[in-house]
Amino acid sequence: MTTKQVEQVITPAGKHFVGNGFFVHNIIPGSQGLSMERVSPFILLDYNAPHYFAPTGTPRGVGVHPHRGFETVTIAYKGRVEHHDSSGGGGVIGEGDVQWMTAASGVLHKEFHEKEWSKKGGMFQMVQLWVNLPAKDKMSKPKYQALANDQMGVYELENQAGRIEVIAGAYKTTQGPASTFTPMHLMNAHLVAGGKAEFNFPAHYNTALIVLEGKIQVNDESAVSANQFALFQNEGEAFTIEATENAIVLVLSGEPILEPIAHHGPFVMNTKQELMQAFEDFNEGKFGYLED
Amino acid sequence: MKPNTLSTFLTSNIDLKEAFLQLLFSSCQIKQVNKGDYLLQPGETCTHSFFVKKGLLRQFSLDAKGKEHVLQFAPENWFMSDRDSVFFHEPAAYYIQALENTSVYLIDEPFLTNLAHKDPQFLDFNLNLLHKHIRQLHKRVQLLLSATAEERYLDFVHMYPDLMLRVPQIQIASYLGITPESLSRVRSDLAKKNQGR
Repeated sequence: MTTKQVEQVITPAGKHFVGNGFFVHNIIPGSQGLSMERVSPFILLDYNAPHYFAPTGTPRGVGVHPHRGFETVTIAYKGRVEHHDSSGGGGVIGEGDVQWMTAASGVLHKEFHEKEWSKKGGMFQMVQLWVNLPAKDKMSKPKYQALANDQMGVYELENQAGRIEVIAGAYKTTQGPASTFTPMHLMNAHLVAGGKAEFNFPAHYNTALIVLEGKIQVNDESAVSANQFALFQNEGEAFTIEATENAIVLVLSGEPILEPIAHHGPFVMNTKQELMQAFEDFNEGKFGYLED
Repeated sequence: MKPNTLSTFLTSNIDLKEAFLQLLFSSCQIKQVNKGDYLLQPGETCTHSFFVKKGLLRQFSLDAKGKEHVLQFAPENWFMSDRDSVFFHEPAAYYIQALENTSVYLIDEPFLTNLAHKDPQFLDFNLNLLHKHIRQLHKRVQLLLSATAEERYLDFVHMYPDLMLRVPQIQIASYLGITPESLSRVRSDLAKKNQGR
């Protein structure tokens, strides 16, 4: 087994609002060297770094919009989000929970801060990922997985170094609850200062991490701080993360989907013709209907 | 939504002859207009036609009660102008406003006329565009006179495939000559018929 080295550490560029409820750094595909193809199956990563939202009686968020051809995965670190979609899926996620929505053939959805949470306001911190689907599954039926924090696979690290919460795939023998269409591993590493964890993924999997809290050192050489993103080379399998401060790190690794990507706005397909079809189907109501 | 290279592909409404456009644009200025800003307001004299390189314009009027009436949208590769003002030098009756950060070519009318005089092929090209524009206007009048809300909506999304995602519904309803509630009803009825099909 050889070491998987860090290819680059990225400090994300400026932030922008998605609707009025998500204040995000777009990291994938907005950063140099992080195209949809390069990090596939993870084709988009928006990071809402901790941000204070003042109390309001009118919840902030994003109104009704469509998706087709992929999955949206929302990982909540701080704050609470309510979701509804046109296939009947919906729910509220809070700290440590994950919402895994398979848009596939098409849904309309909306995402708002939960009403009660909005009234109090507070710190808000989330990651939203878009996970691509292979061509054969792009037009499958929409699906919704609400993954509560107590369902996550938990691996307690030796020497009280911390724990790994597995969302999808596995850490060593501990499995995560999410069902996925292609092989991938997605997990949050909670490490105490000085704690160390080893990871091991196939060399050809696209592998990356983002530090949400604290500071880490990867392979005893690359320092990565809060808000920074590290992309690994597609060589070698094993790497280590050591927390130099108490840290929370989201680790992603997945088998690339080696198919053409045609992307426009909220649709991710394989060809331009399929994108045109997506617009037509959305306009004609084939994704269903959802009140604003 | 982010800027998209596919916008042009999605919104091209006419088979624009690349060579003629190159000729036309070679002498045109490009102007950047910020979202919400106006290229034209009523009372001004419009001296140029606009061709959208990137972004989105709308042309609308205000009635005596202060209600907006949207005449046209112009996404990438569409022309927009106040023809009364440009050709007949009358004070403009319309607003032309950017709905997104937009870059437009400013098309100078005397330049266009000169070009048409010099090059018969360009004259044909320009006339063809004009006739297509008139055909489009006829269709629009006909739809407003006699079509159902659903027929108007379906014609709209066929012509402007991505505008449902770029324009507030209230403005689309205004373009269609229906209330926003009717537009919601049309879309919900279509969904009942078509969801998952």
